[in-house]
Amino acid sequence: MTKRALAALLALLALGSCAKSDHKTHLYLQRFFGECGAEYGGTTDVAKAEGECGIITTLVNRFNADNPDIRIDVNVVAWPGYPQLTAQVAARDPPDLVTMHEGVISDYASKGLVEPVDDYLRTAGISPTDFTDAARQGVTMYGHVYGLPWDTHGGLFHVNTALFAKAGLMRGGKPVLPDTWDELFAQARQFEQRTGEPYLIQSNVGDPAFAARNLYTYMMAKGAVLFPDRKHIRLNTPVGVQVAKYFRRINAEKLGTQNMDTPAAIAAFVSGRGGIYPTGTWMIGSFETEAETPGRPLYKSYAVFPYPRLWGEHVEYVSGHSWVVPARERTPQQREAIARFFKFMAAHNFDWTRTGHLPAFKAVLGEPRFKALPHRADIAPLATIGRPLPSYVLRQNAIEGIVGEEAAAAFTGQKTVPQALESAERRVNILLAQID
Amino acid sequence: MTSARDWRGLLFVAPFLLLYSVILIFPLLRGVWLSFNQVDLFGDGHFVGLGNYARLLNDPIFGTSLINTFEVTLMIVPALTIIALGLAMALNRGSRNAAIFRGIFFSSAVLSVTIVTLIWRFVLAPDAGLLGELWKAFGWQPLPFLSDENLVLPALAITTIWWSVGFPMLLFLAGLQQIPGDMYEAAALDNASRWTTFSRITLPSLRRTVVLVVMLQTAAQLQLFGQSQLLTAGGPSGASRTAVLFLFETAFGRWELGYASAAAELLFLIILAVTITQYWATGRATAAQGGR
Repeated sequence: MTKRALAALLALLALGSCAKSDHKTHLYLQRFFGECGAEYGGTTDVAKAEGECGIITTLVNRFNADNPDIRIDVNVVAWPGYPQLTAQVAARDPPDLVTMHEGVISDYASKGLVEPVDDYLRTAGISPTDFTDAARQGVTMYGHVYGLPWDTHGGLFHVNTALFAKAGLMRGGKPVLPDTWDELFAQARQFEQRTGEPYLIQSNVGDPAFAARNLYTYMMAKGAVLFPDRKHIRLNTPVGVQVAKYFRRINAEKLGTQNMDTPAAIAAFVSGRGGIYPTGTWMIGSFETEAETPGRPLYKSYAVFPYPRLWGEHVEYVSGHSWVVPARERTPQQREAIARFFKFMAAHNFDWTRTGHLPAFKAVLGEPRFKALPHRADIAPLATIGRPLPSYVLRQNAIEGIVGEEAAAAFTGQKTVPQALESAERRVNILLAQID
Repeated sequence: MTSARDWRGLLFVAPFLLLYSVILIFPLLRGVWLSFNQVDLFGDGHFVGLGNYARLLNDPIFGTSLINTFEVTLMIVPALTIIALGLAMALNRGSRNAAIFRGIFFSSAVLSVTIVTLIWRFVLAPDAGLLGELWKAFGWQPLPFLSDENLVLPALAITTIWWSVGFPMLLFLAGLQQIPGDMYEAAALDNASRWTTFSRITLPSLRRTVVLVVMLQTAAQLQLFGQSQLLTAGGPSGASRTAVLFLFETAFGRWELGYASAAAELLFLIILAVTITQYWATGRATAAQGGR
């Protein structure tokens, strides 16, 4: 009797643990951009969603609603999520779709860990010629396209126009940005004297990307070839030394804030405690909200532009987000579902640009609704002047960490400029030499 | 009969032994093997013998990370031990207030490192941080705890002590409650001063607990990671990069699995050597005092 009861209990447990099949094609999507299920978990109205997390969550909900035969299961990872992805790939259980920075794709593509997406794009009716130059360069490598580009992001000069007006640096309602390094120092001193606030707000603490972005951008502008081949970086050059010396001078003359990390720098800018905060496209939405809120220090006092050309050519180091497809066995239905997802996301690229990022599709740049978004006409040139690092360079994330750490040491005076640049070169070259 | 009983005994411990071998012994041996190879996370790699170790010994970044690790451990362990002992002695009483304070002082231990570093960022940041505002109120220039090469390790030490003080305090409380009350009564009858009572009764009675706390904390702090990664990202200029942060960056940022494994093995040997030395030294001291 006891045995029968036990067997019945086990059978019930076994049956209870069986999930009902929903006859849908499941795709497992892994992304960063944060978790906001409490606010947007059931929302499908993309136009009403705000912020990176709100928009991406709502887009996936909308895709699921529009495609009843497909179910996208989402796993949200902490930014940037590559340690988790690496562990999943090593365990041969990667997701079907992953958000990936374009500078990271080559690491996975070189090992065959992500699939070329040429076939998915063809099925979705998307041509790589539809992408902006920066986006196409970011996802194209080894003769294939390895991801659906989703945006272009890079550094921008976020400007407090009220303080610029006080400093006498407004012309025709627009901030006057420098055209040369000398102008930058002259304007910075004028700004400081007239407002009592620092010209630049800098996040020099715990933010190696900030220093790396500045060094890369102004070396590229002067025509420097940062990576002459896939095994070497070249920073300790007259151009590199000069760029580092200019940023060091900004700190030495106290024309920029010192000792701030990213949250402190953001707080300083929205509190009106500095003229320009050079940070990324991703902050436009938050700063615009401040600019639209009466009573806030930034109210009606915000403008934003790409990094100014201070010498050489007007180019800027950029990166981008993309959707990649890790290599694994998939059914034809799953492959078709991925193509439909690509088509859907490409069609909604405009919605993503409301975050502040620039579109990955040329057509969106020309759309009136994109141009009607605040500041977009001012920042749109970033899509054409943006330059990613060459795709043959592997470990771009790790390299940015090393370069940023050493460049920050040079900028803040913790190391001499040649010492820091030599150290950055040596460390990066050792890293690149270890890659087979 | 004896043999059969032995066999049955082995069967009882077999599941544990199997699990222990799979999740601890095998990865340990695999790590040792990887440290002799130049291998990335997804490649086959090739055997380089002691090449990774030779490279590590000539790597100034690894050297600095080891020095940082030793420095921060030296800042944390003695201070943490003294503070935990002081708190335990102050709160070793049966009153309701003491129970509440025991709970308060232990509460930081249940927080995750993410929360702890967030809290301390608000305290230490020179712009609008608690200490920064305090400094400004006195008309002083705020100290850049997180961006000055000389202040960043003390900042990590303070954060860690605040976070970690709860568990050693509990160990000391448990030790204090094992000391017979009649020893204190005898000391009181002899008119012993508070210092004499502490140095002749309390401290000797807690010797084993002190050794345990120092050894556990030394081993733990030599593996300090989260505070350094989240509060300072190892900066400025590597001044707060610890050994574990170095091997995390090497393995998961640079994908150099063999090199990171060699760093991990060296750190393992260092922790083992420090722990054995402490055990040996305290054992000798105890023996010299008649084994008390």
